[in-house]
Amino acid sequence: MLEPLLGSTNCERVLIFLAAREEGYLREISDFFETSPAPILKQLEKLENGGVLFSRLVGRTRIYGFNPRYPFLKELKSLLDKALTFYPEDIRARLLESRRRPRRKGKPL
Amino acid sequence: MKALSEMSVGEVAAYVAEHLRQSSINVVLTGGSCVSIYTDNRYLSYDLDFIEEGRSTRKKIAACLREIGFQERDRYFTHTDTRFFVEFPSGPLAIGDEPVGNIAQLEFATGSLRLLSATDCVKDRLANYYHWKDRQCLDQAIMVATDAEVDMEEVERWSSHEGMAEEFKRIKELFNRAA
Repeated sequence: MLEPLLGSTNCERVLIFLAAREEGYLREISDFFETSPAPILKQLEKLENGGVLFSRLVGRTRIYGFNPRYPFLKELKSLLDKALTFYPEDIRARLLESRRRPRRKGKPL
Repeated sequence: MKALSEMSVGEVAAYVAEHLRQSSINVVLTGGSCVSIYTDNRYLSYDLDFIEEGRSTRKKIAACLREIGFQERDRYFTHTDTRFFVEFPSGPLAIGDEPVGNIAQLEFATGSLRLLSATDCVKDRLANYYHWKDRQCLDQAIMVATDAEVDMEEVERWSSHEGMAEEFKRIKELFNRAA
């Protein structure tokens, strides 16, 4: 959808994923789109080097999110939010449905 | 000219910027090293963050810096004679979602240096405080506002534009107390 603008399907995947979920890590994004991690990592690194994303380590996992200091963040998010509404319902629903609230350790369900 | 090993942060930055300018690469110094310059090293940063104003290639910049002994290592350029290292964060030159308006210029024995104005330097530090909760950057902003001439009304306007009017009200007292 945004691939002609962004020049890469995986770049679109990364941005759309983060637009929907605010944060994400490499394996989570590549698993979601059922693709190998290497091209996703390349895009994450490119976007981080360009100041669009930031990353931080949580344990041994590198979490990515939008850099709040990126000057075009508001406009980029508007574009991605609009693109998200054009995604197939099932993908959009899966992207937007994600448990982020805490879950106590050892719960059976 | 002084040996590189004896140069201050401003002198090294001006030396690098001047050399780049001779190859038509125009840069503006941003980040923590501007704090060092405005506070006369009360806060010392070894990281010289330059934003390039044109669209020079990394290759051209690397070749130019090699001429004065800076070697590229990952995303940084280091030199054996100085602890200061050079980085080129991705542009544009902006603070929050606003482009930087007035760029300051300081003269050193090693050349001219274009850098964030003291007011923009305070805004740049506060952006880190507002968005990353980096308390050290708030302290740096206060140091710059104490040591240099800063337009606090402009800082207040910009803070509101960033959606941080309430937070600015809270920290304004810290600026007043330090003044």
